[in-house]
Amino acid sequence: MAGDPQRIVYMNNAATTWPKPTGVMEEVTRSMSLPFVEEGRSTLRGQVDYPAQAREDLAGFFIAGPPDHFIFTQNATDSLNMAIHGFLHQLGQPCHAITTELEHSSVLRPLRTLERDGRIALTVIPFNEKGYITLDAVKEEIRDDTRLAVMTHGSNVLGTVQDIRKMGEYLLANNVFLIVDGAQTAGQIPIDLGSIPLDVFVFTGHKGLFGIPGIGGFYIRDPGRVDPVRQGGTGMNSQSPYQNEEMPHRFEAGTHNYPGIASLSAGIRYLEERGIGNVERETMEMTRSLIARLRPAGSIALDNGNPDLPIISFNVDGREPDQVGFILARIYGIVCRTGLHCAPLVHQRINGGRGSVRLSLSCMNTPEECDRVAEALAEVARGAG
Amino acid sequence: MKEFVLDEPITEDLADYLRNFGEVKIQPLHGKQFLSFEKPHFISVKGVLGEDTVEVRYAAGVHDLTADLFHLLLFHYSSGKEIGKVREVEGAMWKAIRVRLGV
Repeated sequence: MAGDPQRIVYMNNAATTWPKPTGVMEEVTRSMSLPFVEEGRSTLRGQVDYPAQAREDLAGFFIAGPPDHFIFTQNATDSLNMAIHGFLHQLGQPCHAITTELEHSSVLRPLRTLERDGRIALTVIPFNEKGYITLDAVKEEIRDDTRLAVMTHGSNVLGTVQDIRKMGEYLLANNVFLIVDGAQTAGQIPIDLGSIPLDVFVFTGHKGLFGIPGIGGFYIRDPGRVDPVRQGGTGMNSQSPYQNEEMPHRFEAGTHNYPGIASLSAGIRYLEERGIGNVERETMEMTRSLIARLRPAGSIALDNGNPDLPIISFNVDGREPDQVGFILARIYGIVCRTGLHCAPLVHQRINGGRGSVRLSLSCMNTPEECDRVAEALAEVARGAG
Repeated sequence: MKEFVLDEPITEDLADYLRNFGEVKIQPLHGKQFLSFEKPHFISVKGVLGEDTVEVRYAAGVHDLTADLFHLLLFHYSSGKEIGKVREVEGAMWKAIRVRLGV
């Protein structure tokens, strides 16, 4: 059953969204039906310049500019590595950095590696009982030598959205470089980067923005604050032995992922046509309705009963998370994710590292699919033990 | 975790054989029979009766010691439901696991 796309209920959208809007699939096909416009690398003219178009689309969607400050990468992990290592390279001396218990391994592993190598001293700030990082908790950990903060915008386990505006106001005023991981929020909620004080905002294409895997990026307010950690061909100034300083070439070396960039543009167009506010409202209505139906099942223990994002984490008494995931997939055709979701510190806090079952919705899900999931979980919970 | 495709669908007879070596549970769900086999410190197996794929998870830290257990169980099941020889190998594995984990 799980192998039949007609029967799948896909609720693993916090990992990768599926299905993709028809327009995304059509745009990817269209992008590959003709040669790509490769700026500086091809004499082709007259076709769509996907990177230029996507930068305009991103700047419009996130209400920030200039478009050349949107950089393409492979994914959020790639972006975070570039921003974290690039900032510290530019800083040129060890410093204190802060991060949070909510982070994904894409933040924790680069930071832990830098800590191990003596490049930073790291403080991990705990979240409160509701799954939020408070400004007071941040203030408590700031030191004279704190220069870097890396924090998630939305938790991929608890679905809480952090007040990055308040954090940014404080951190930037204290000369702390703020990198925000927007992997879970980009495409799920309205984000006005033009008015939020931050230095780098990281996103990926394959989640809420409905692109295909392999495309991501980041927005950087002041490119001069981060050194490029990659060097290579940019299609221009080839006589120069060093990386071009001009944006976006400062951070983009090598040939682009044109189909991925095309999918990103098409995904943004889909969200804009539907309205990001409507997407958020409709997806959260389904999420809250599903939570309300899971709550009465006594043997279902919710880790987050009131999320800001369409993410539901839970356990079923008497069953390991992977067993619940197996049953949902193989018997009911419901795709979710089980385990630690690459966010080990969250699980350490909420259940001693046991992990959880995670349902994550997108605006492509339907209320009928939520009914199927609720009925399946009620049956699984009744049989637990 | 590894997924295995079996030569034949999972039967109640196989489930009965596995009971010699660990805890087997069969639970009816949505018109199917969910099977779980738990052997603490070794492996856990999940499958559906009548289907030919199973998911095998290996206990943390001893994967290299228990990697062959499921193959061994299937081999001896299909060649006469031998129990004694499996017990011998299982005993040797357990000895190594205890040394490794200090249990």
